[in-house]
Amino acid sequence: MNLSPSMLAVIAILGLLGVGFYALLASRNLIKVIVGLQILVKGSMLAFVLAGRLVGNVTLGQSLALTVIVVDTIVAVIGLAISVQIRRHFGTLDVKALTTLRR
Amino acid sequence: MAATFILLSIGIPWLGALLVWWVGDQHPKLQHTLAVVFSVLAGAAALALIPNAATAAAVTFPVGGLFGDFTFIPDGLGVFLAAVATVVGSLAVIFSVNYMHGEHQLGRYYAMVLFFIGAMVGLVLTSNLLLVFVFWEITALCSYALISFHNDDPKAVKGGIKALIITQIGGVGLLAGALLVYSYFGTYDLNYFIANAGSLPAGVLAAAAFGFLIAAAAKSAQFPFQTWLPDAMEAPTPISALIHAATMVNAGVYLLARFYPAFKDVPGWTTAVVIVGMLSALLAALMACVATDLKRVLAYSTVSQLGYMVYAIGAGGVFASQFHLFSHSVFKALLFLAAGAVIHAVGTRDMRQMGALGKQMPFVRAVFVIGALALAGLPILNGFWSKELVLEAGLHGGPIWAFVVMVFVAGLTAFYTFRCVYLVFYGEARSHLHGHDAQTAMKVSLGLLALGTLTTWLLVGPFGKLLHDTLPAHEIHALPLGEVALEIFTAPATYIALAVIAVGLLCWWMRDRLAGLASALTGLSRAAADSFGFEAVNRGIVSATQNSAEALRVTQTGLLNWNVLGILAGLVIVIAILAFGA
Amino acid sequence: MNPTTAFPWMIALPLVAAPIIYLIGRLSVRSRAQSAAPARWMAIVVLLVTAVLAFFAAQPILQGKTLTLTFYAISLRLDGVALLLGATVTFLGLMVAIFSLRYMHGDEGEEKYYALLVAMVGSIIGLGCAADLFNLWVWFEVMAISSFMLVAFYRDQPASLEAGLKYLVQSAAGSVLILLGIALVFASTGMLDLAAIRSVVNGPAPILIAAGALFIIGFGVKAAFVPLHTWLPDAHSQAPSGISAMLSGIVIEAGLVAMLRALGALAAVSSLWGVLLLIFGAFNMLVGNLMALRQEQVKRLLAYSSVSHLGYMLVGLGASITFPLMVGTNGAEGAFFHLFNHATMKGLAFLSVGALLYALHIARGDHGPLVLSDLDGASRRYPAVAFSLAVAVLALGGLPPLSGFMSKWMIFVAGFQSQNGWMIALVIFMALNSVLSLGYYAPLVNRMFRHTPAPIVENGARVSVSMRVPLALLTLLTVVLGFWPTLLSWLTAPAAAALMAWFGVQ
Repeated sequence: MNLSPSMLAVIAILGLLGVGFYALLASRNLIKVIVGLQILVKGSMLAFVLAGRLVGNVTLGQSLALTVIVVDTIVAVIGLAISVQIRRHFGTLDVKALTTLRR
Repeated sequence: MAATFILLSIGIPWLGALLVWWVGDQHPKLQHTLAVVFSVLAGAAALALIPNAATAAAVTFPVGGLFGDFTFIPDGLGVFLAAVATVVGSLAVIFSVNYMHGEHQLGRYYAMVLFFIGAMVGLVLTSNLLLVFVFWEITALCSYALISFHNDDPKAVKGGIKALIITQIGGVGLLAGALLVYSYFGTYDLNYFIANAGSLPAGVLAAAAFGFLIAAAAKSAQFPFQTWLPDAMEAPTPISALIHAATMVNAGVYLLARFYPAFKDVPGWTTAVVIVGMLSALLAALMACVATDLKRVLAYSTVSQLGYMVYAIGAGGVFASQFHLFSHSVFKALLFLAAGAVIHAVGTRDMRQMGALGKQMPFVRAVFVIGALALAGLPILNGFWSKELVLEAGLHGGPIWAFVVMVFVAGLTAFYTFRCVYLVFYGEARSHLHGHDAQTAMKVSLGLLALGTLTTWLLVGPFGKLLHDTLPAHEIHALPLGEVALEIFTAPATYIALAVIAVGLLCWWMRDRLAGLASALTGLSRAAADSFGFEAVNRGIVSATQNSAEALRVTQTGLLNWNVLGILAGLVIVIAILAFGA
Repeated sequence: MNPTTAFPWMIALPLVAAPIIYLIGRLSVRSRAQSAAPARWMAIVVLLVTAVLAFFAAQPILQGKTLTLTFYAISLRLDGVALLLGATVTFLGLMVAIFSLRYMHGDEGEEKYYALLVAMVGSIIGLGCAADLFNLWVWFEVMAISSFMLVAFYRDQPASLEAGLKYLVQSAAGSVLILLGIALVFASTGMLDLAAIRSVVNGPAPILIAAGALFIIGFGVKAAFVPLHTWLPDAHSQAPSGISAMLSGIVIEAGLVAMLRALGALAAVSSLWGVLLLIFGAFNMLVGNLMALRQEQVKRLLAYSSVSHLGYMLVGLGASITFPLMVGTNGAEGAFFHLFNHATMKGLAFLSVGALLYALHIARGDHGPLVLSDLDGASRRYPAVAFSLAVAVLALGGLPPLSGFMSKWMIFVAGFQSQNGWMIALVIFMALNSVLSLGYYAPLVNRMFRHTPAPIVENGARVSVSMRVPLALLTLLTVVLGFWPTLLSWLTAPAAAALMAWFGVQ
């Protein structure tokens, strides 16, 4: 079977989304959760590049992806910073320990 | 002129409320004085409205948007109820000077009372359906705040919230009715609605009619919403007299009377009104026969008497219902305030611990007996005249089975009234309670109300004329006093009722010899003491809501993975709706 | 001042000022003065100036025009909704800044707090004005980032860290869905400008339907749609009280406005957008109220009530979008009025609770939550605060004559004007929900007016003037709008018209 580059990109996007959401749903470790978020964002960046290619506006697609990288890095940094504090105060990175607020 | 007096009779109590609150609880004397002055001034303003009664809007605030014009009309129904609210209100405030002496948080008490008086006046004078609802809810808010005035007492808090929630649930009916009217007519003007009700689609009019009936039943503590009123007796007694006997609970009756011309042709509506009134009158009277708490007996009797008024409206007797409302406001306020004097003196509400208090409190006994005779419907007190008018209207305009029940309830009323009077003031002392007679301010209020109970029936002629002249849509037949008297004394309904009342009295007199009958009715009296299961229904609804709320809290696990699952589930549901719903 | 000059400055000023506030505050804290006072006062001045700029920029909007500003590839448009959002957030931000003078006094990182608060205000003003999809997302993320940092502000409080992290992860997951939606729209139309997209989209297309669903869920996380709301009670209860007021009062609503902007461009794709809003509205009202019913912690209770209030707004918006012919702009106007009222009422509630939390716990170095029994007899020692909290919760419960009743009434009217059985049933359901909400508001009020205060109240600290001023102003507003509900229609009517224009209804 002969896959076009666009199809390949779509499959890659779906794969990244699948892996990312799996990490969010199944992972007990906070670092893995944040990595999962990163994988999700990579999928959406790829989607922008692909969309730019499909509509014939590659530069716009790429510049959007770059902006996403910047914003997403800030989010990741804050997330990791909070995780460090959580490790310090809870003594663990287990998501299950982070259920003091509920009901 | 009318505009000024309308604004004064709403504005004065509200200004007074602000001032009393502003003065602060460090100056109780000043608070008492201010409250009395402002409530009396409001009463004067409202009384001055009566000669200025008219059918056209006197005050208009053009608010615009979806809110319409805020209008007020001083028509007969409105000015009469405004006068009742402010006059009984000022008497209750005067009574409070003694009754609430030395209480904490007086500012909150008087502020809420005055706020209530103003809102009640607004409710009856406005002709904008939105404002009717607004004032309706403000009175509910004040009633709640005053029932639970003693917030440290869990029973008072519970009673207040119960009253609030039940009247609010009923209020949804008024809301729906008002909104239906607005969505078809584009105006909130209630006279426009009454004049053009026939042009609404039949289903819409019926929905509005029954919505209003639900609201009225909840507000006036009628079947099946009657349960909140007895629990509202945790309020300080002047509040029970003012809000839960003389004014707010009449709002439902007022609503039905006001919109009677619009709804009378809705199929089944008048019958439903008759049934609601009849069942309330009957069930509450039965419960009053077995209750042992003095204020609860009076509360049940209020429900029962309100049932008479509702019944009269269902039978087409708008005038009779309003006249009974008038009499009832006066004599029931008297009864409640006299009961308050008793409770204030002896410190309990349990009638089983009272007895033979008449010797210690002759003045209170005298006025209480006057009120009780009026409640029982004995000539020539005001309760007799209005009750006979109600029964006559029922005989002419209502079904005969309902009339039979209502006459029977008149007998029950006489029975429980005498039971109550006897248990409190006569017989033997059943404990070592010592009462002292009423103090000065109390005597002023009680004396004036007793005077009213003896004389207000003389006003039947002018009262009828007032309603007749300013409420053309209601087609009220006004008769002078002489003709009313002639009508009543020649009507068979009067003699039937008097006979039954006599039987009721006799039953109490011969209660020892009727012991066999009494034991046969144990089941009934037990059911009555359990309020015929309505309390259980209330409790069931509350606990079902609480339990489902508690059960739902399990979904908030606090687990991050679960939360993300919620997001994905939401996405799947939305896509499913979009895919299959289009 | 010329509106076209005021408009760019209104957006730029808070964003430019935020880092400066931080730097100056930081320098001052590290200097011999060791005080964040410059940061405090600068923040208040910046917000005041922003309000003045907004006033000048608003003039054309009030005459029914819009202002457009193009800066390289970024285009910003000031219309009715943008103005409403900007005015509300600036006002509430100012109240919160004044309140925080004492509340945050001496906390570690106080200068950061003010910088982030100003940045949050700026980002929400910008969010309202964003005219293209990607731009919308960027503003949205700036708002999100500033709010993450503010929720997790107390770095030594485990609970606030936990809340902050959950908020971050769920928001970020939602934000990815938004990005995917934008990519789908971009891929199928080649455009990002919202008005341009609306003009080329003219019928159902599966890809665009999927994009719409992604927008609803992606922005819906931030707007706390049930079942995406699970972060909200944690974040809103753990943040500093001023931030709780901002989050509940305006941030979730900003998420809603962003969603409406994005969905508006796809209005022609499906006729179900309004219906979906109504469905979410029903769930939000019910779940929010039931969850609040059994809460013990006051701030958590108020947080859940925000979920239900968002539901009320959704009902109004959904009514206008689903039945544009019968309802017209009325539902949207009611919803926007409720948005403003909710900002003031819930802001007032959170600030009042914050004042009590400060006086009873924080001032004594205790970071525990304010529970219901702490409120017992609060009116004895804190009559003004107890009164303002009572006004706030009774207004939230929809009792007249307070503002919350009037905006709910507008939504009720809009629902009935549809003359559609389902819509009317939903409105009655909403009214019953309002009654249900009194089941938790009323006992709270009763507690405060008890005669015997709880021991913790008797030993409470003083509530400062800087806390009372915003409370008094917000209380006044809540009462005045209840007596004269059309006072703000100059603000809400253009907003409703603008919303209908987004959805292509003129």
